[in-house]
Parts: sequence; C-alpha cells; structure tokens
Amino acid sequence: MLRIQHFTKSYKGGRKAVDDLSLVVEPGDIYGFIGHNGAGKTTTIRAVVGVLDFEEGEIEIDGISVKADPLACKAKLAYIPDNPDLYDHLTGIQYLNFIGDLFHVSKAERERLIGKYSDDFQITANLGDMISSYSHGMKQKLAIISALIHEPKLLVLDEPFVGLDPKAAHTLKTIMTDLCSKGSAIFFSTHVLDTAEKLCNKIAIIKDGRLITHGKTEVVRGEHSLEDVFMELIDND
Amino acid sequence: MINIWRLTKLQLLSSFGLNKALHTKDPAERRKALLLSIAMIAGILMIGFVSYGYSLMMAKTFEQLGRLDLLLAVMMTVTSLVGFFTTVYKASGVLFSYKDYDMIMSLPVKTSHVVASRVLQLYVMNLFFTLLVMLPAGAVYALLVKPGVLFYLFFLMTLLFISLLPIIAATIVGSLISWVSSRFRASRMLSILFTFVFMIALMLGSFMINGEEQQLTDVGEGLGKMIFKLYPLASVYVDAVCSYRVPALILFIAVSVLAFVLFSTVLATRYKAIHTGLMTSRAGRKYTMKPLQESSVFKALYLKELRRYFSSANYVLNTGVGMVLLLLMSVSLLFVSSEKLGTILAIPQLSEYLNTFSPLVVSLFVILSCTTSSSISLEGNHLWILTSSPVSKQVIILSKVAVNLTITLPVIAVSSVLFVVTLETGWTESLLLLVIPVIYACYSAMLGVIVNLKLPKLEWTSEVAVIKQSAAVLVSMVIGVLTLAVPVMLFLLIEQLNGDLLMLIYGVIIAAVCAGMYRYIQTHGERLFARL
Repeated sequence: MLRIQHFTKSYKGGRKAVDDLSLVVEPGDIYGFIGHNGAGKTTTIRAVVGVLDFEEGEIEIDGISVKADPLACKAKLAYIPDNPDLYDHLTGIQYLNFIGDLFHVSKAERERLIGKYSDDFQITANLGDMISSYSHGMKQKLAIISALIHEPKLLVLDEPFVGLDPKAAHTLKTIMTDLCSKGSAIFFSTHVLDTAEKLCNKIAIIKDGRLITHGKTEVVRGEHSLEDVFMELIDND
Repeated sequence: MINIWRLTKLQLLSSFGLNKALHTKDPAERRKALLLSIAMIAGILMIGFVSYGYSLMMAKTFEQLGRLDLLLAVMMTVTSLVGFFTTVYKASGVLFSYKDYDMIMSLPVKTSHVVASRVLQLYVMNLFFTLLVMLPAGAVYALLVKPGVLFYLFFLMTLLFISLLPIIAATIVGSLISWVSSRFRASRMLSILFTFVFMIALMLGSFMINGEEQQLTDVGEGLGKMIFKLYPLASVYVDAVCSYRVPALILFIAVSVLAFVLFSTVLATRYKAIHTGLMTSRAGRKYTMKPLQESSVFKALYLKELRRYFSSANYVLNTGVGMVLLLLMSVSLLFVSSEKLGTILAIPQLSEYLNTFSPLVVSLFVILSCTTSSSISLEGNHLWILTSSPVSKQVIILSKVAVNLTITLPVIAVSSVLFVVTLETGWTESLLLLVIPVIYACYSAMLGVIVNLKLPKLEWTSEVAVIKQSAAVLVSMVIGVLTLAVPVMLFLLIEQLNGDLLMLIYGVIIAAVCAGMYRYIQTHGERLFARL
C-alpha cells in the first residue's frame, strides 16, 4: 500500500532531516512510526501525503508514485496532521461536506459515513456549530471523521491520540482496527509507546532522520517492552 | 511603559516580513527581501518626489492668496483625514482580532498597555504616510517663507503627533462599532455594516461642509475657514508651527498625548468583554443529520472561499471599501453633476477627466478591491487541507479569482451603467466604460493571486498583518496602480492623442496580459503551490 524507497530530505543549509529511509506498509497493516522530537517523523509523513516536495528517493501509494501522480495518490489516502487547524469560519457539517466534495464522495455515502462516525465520536449534536467554537479535542474528532468519510486505502496520521479523551481514543483504535480488517492500511506516528505496542502489527523507529529498526512489533520488541527497546536504541545507537 | 514598546516591537517585527528578512539564512529569501527593500525605497522616494511637486504647485496658489500657512494646514488636514479614514476600518482588526490574544493577555502586562501597543501599531502604520506628505510640504514652506529656527524645531516636534489624534478618533469609532456589534448574534456582519455606514455618512457630511464654503467671496479666507472647520486642530497646528506660539504647541501635543493615554485607559476597562463578544460564536441548537448537498470541486472551493471572505470583518472592510466608494461616487453623480463635483473636490477638470478616463477611474477602485493578493497567505495553518486534497491547484487558484470577481463585477456593472447615464457618454465611451473595468477586474484578481503565490506570508498572528501589511498586497497594489498610470501619463504627455483609441488599445493589451496570466496559472499553478 505504501512503499518508501531511499527517501532523503535535506533542508536548506544541507542538513538532512531524513536520510535514506525505506519501508513498506502492506494492506491490513497498522504501522507505528516512533521517534523522539525532531527525529524526522513529520517530515516523512508530509512527504508521503504529497504536502512536502522531495528530491531523493521514491514514495509509492498503491503502486502510484507520489511525485509522478500526486492527485491520484491523494485520492487514495487520508491525512491528519498533529495539530489539525480546520476552517474556523465553517460549521462542522459544512467542513465535512466540503471534504466530501473534494474527494467526490457520493451524497448517500457521505450522509451514511458522517452519521456513523459522528455518532461514534459523539459529536453529531455539535456539527451545526462553528468550528471556531470547538475545543481542541472536538477539532481532532472532526478531522478524523473528515479523513474517514472517503474510505481511504491508506490512512496517515501524525500523533492522532493527542488531545482525544479516553473514550474517543478507544473509538479511534476500534475504527483503525476495523479499517485494516477491510484491507486498508494505517501509518501513524506516536509518542504513546504503550498504544503503539498494543495496536500496531508493525513498528519503525527513527532517530536523527535514520531508520534504526523496523518490522513486526513482536520481532522489534523481542522479550522486552517497546519502551525498553526504544530507550535502549535511542540511547545506544 | 517599557512593556508597551516591547509589545509594539513584537507586532512591528511581523509586519512586511521584517523579522524573516532579518533572520533568514536562505540566500533566495535574502535576495527577495533585498529586492523588496529596494523597490520599497524607490517607491517611497517616488511618492516623496510627487508629494513635493504637489506641495510646490499648491504653494504657488497659496502664495498668490498671501496665505502660505494654509499649505501646511491643508497638508496636515489631508494626512489627518486620510489617516482617520484608513484607520476606521482596520481599527477593530488590529485592536481585537489577533491569534496570540490569549498569550499576550496572560502575560503580567496591564491591559491598558496592551491597548496602547495595538494603537501604536496603527500609529506607526500611518506615520509613514504623514512623513511622506508633511516633510515635502515643510520643505516647500521653508524654501518659500524662509522662516526662523523655531519653525524647524516646532515643525519636527509636532510631526510625530499629527497622526496620533486622528488615529485615536478612528480607533474610538472602531471600538464603539465593535462594542455595539459584539452585543449581537451576527457581530461580524454588523461590524462591517456599521463601519461602511459610518464612513459613507462622514463622507457625505464633509461634502456638505465643502459645498457651503465654496460660496465665500474671499477665497483665501474662505479656504482657511473651511479647513479649520473641517479639522479644528489644523488651526492650533498652524498657530504653533507658523506663528511660533508656544501655548498652541503645548496644546497640540497635550491634546494628542492626553487622548492617547485616556483612550488606552478607558478601553482597557471593557477590552476583554468586547474581545469575548466579538470572538465567541453562540452554540446553535443540537444538530441532527439532514440531507447534504453535493457540489463540484470548483463550487465547493468557491463557496468555502466566499464564506472565508465574509467571515472576516478585516478582509471585507479592507478590500470592499473600494467597491463601496465606487458605488457611492457613481450614485452621487446622479444628484451632483460632474462639474459641481469637480468644484467641490477642487479639481476643476474633473468633468473632462471623467469623460476621458472614467473606465480607469472605475478600474482604480477595482484595483483597490483585490481580495486575491492575500487569499493564499490567509490560508495560513489551514493550507494542509488543500495541499493534501486530490484537487488540482489550478482549480484552487481560480476559485479564489472567482470570489474576487464576485465582489467586483456586480458593482462594476451598476457603477458603469450609472456613469454612462450621468456622464452621457457616446456609444464608444459607454462600451469602453463597461468593458475596461471588467478586464481590469480579471487582471487584478489574477495578478493578486500570482503575486501572493510568489510572496506568501503563511505565518501570522493577526489577519491585518496579511491583509494590510504583507508584501504581496503592497506589490500587487503598486503594480496595479502603475498599470493604470501608464495610459493616463501617455494621454497627458502626448498631445492630440485620441482618448478612446488609447483606451481600446490599452484594453486589448491588458486583456492579452490576462490571457497570459491565465495560461501561467494553468502551467505553473501546481509548482507555485508546491513551493509554499
């Protein structure tokens, strides 16, 4: 579903934010992307979703190059940044309908999915309010719903659990598992190692722009907890 | 006091990309900043030169009337009135609408100091204009009158206070409008409406003052009375600077400073309440799912952009003022002939100019109503929504152009028809009057969005910093006005030039430029967006 090959991103001044990163996310995977602050997680994610331009390496979504056909790739994926700023001047339902239009979701489908997910996240009653009146958590929920209404093949999330209440976090985990059981894939960054350990079937750990380990969660973790492995790799690499 | 300066400095650093230019390590950004600085200095020098020429021309007339002091009185009144009018519609935005409100208000700083820093930001924005008008006028006065040393001392001392009182007055009006609007549900729309109504009422009022005074037989005396009636502080100013009266000097400075201190203190008592009223939206009834409407991508983007436009009082007031003024002018021509309007505005050839240049006059207001030059920057932190969507960037760009045309085209249509009726133009002039402004509307909208894509300002805390003070707005405005100035200059320089033919040829050229820009958006839109 997602193939990253030798992806390198240098910023002005020559500093490499990500250096020669390669990994593959298969359909059905819930792939956790872990690293300390400034390790290169967001840079990688932004390149995957076609928001960040890059020169070296190749990224493919469902066999299509992000560089060659970014629109086709974007149509297959959904992205939620770490701090989703939404249009404050729209109501929740106007925003969701707007996203439905951009992704060509049929009227019946968008009504069904908006109804379903907004009920799941207990936000239906607030959909008529201006987004400017939403709390951070409500904006996060709205962003998640907007990502789900076009049933993406690849869901890319940057720190999705930040700001969510425990109930909403549980709902999101359930939705993520359901989505992957239907053949979609999820690639997300997180600092919550406990969640990653329980939820992800695959893990990648990045440090200073370089991938230091990746693979099946139980293999990466071995006999230890993910937190122990992470701390050891970060301290000793 | 030091906190006022600290907060003001913080705001000024974000103006015109100043801080970015000072700290960027990227050579391309540095080059861009250098080029912009050179262009701005050249522009300032050019305006200063024109201002000097205009002062000199006026001074010759006042010299004949034996009232050279009126030169300074007129220029001081003009800067004050312009300062007032241009501040009224942005006062609310600068005072109340900024993203770091919570952060600033949580600091151990007095609310009155926060208010003072916001007023000072408005003051600094106006100070440039005051200097550009008053320094050349002062130089002309000094050259012709050869006054004593006290003139220079008093002139420089008062220079910094000229714009303070008009700004306070404008800010009081802006705050009152905000305060009243904040008590209603549709506070933002009401704020826009009240501001426009106030400005129109004030303009009509000032026209009436002019009309009465034109009948006075003693022109010099009459003009003096008119100016002092229009702006009484001009009399105190002239007494201080031209007659070296120390009490007048003290009064002028004291009134300005006192107004500033009083205003900051009084507004501080209601500041949080007004901000809360303006910024909070009432929760509606519990929403239940209803049938949704499907739209094309273009329509969805267009509606989103249109809602964005009307959701911001700053955006509407700053870019809509041109259209309101155009409508006001064209309607007023129904009641006042162009000859009489020329007499009122002291432009005797106005009627002649209007007949020849009416398409350009309408177009000037169109250039002032460019919404696109800040439309990309205003995406700010929301840009990820568009860049991560499967939508061609050309469609996004054209949706922004379409919103600008929605604002300008209906007003152009109404105003052009009114111009045709009131000026009784021939069929060629009528056609040009209808077509040229439409071409300019397309030109201005596309130019604005292209310039904004080249000079984006995506990180901002106050919308005003983007709508009024960003490089893209400044550059597209200057290019737009220069494009209008070319045919005027040609007409004035080349004798026996057929005005209609000139307009026609120029219209074709601008239309061709529009076609070129449309093509550029189609071929380069994706790449320009990717660089944001």
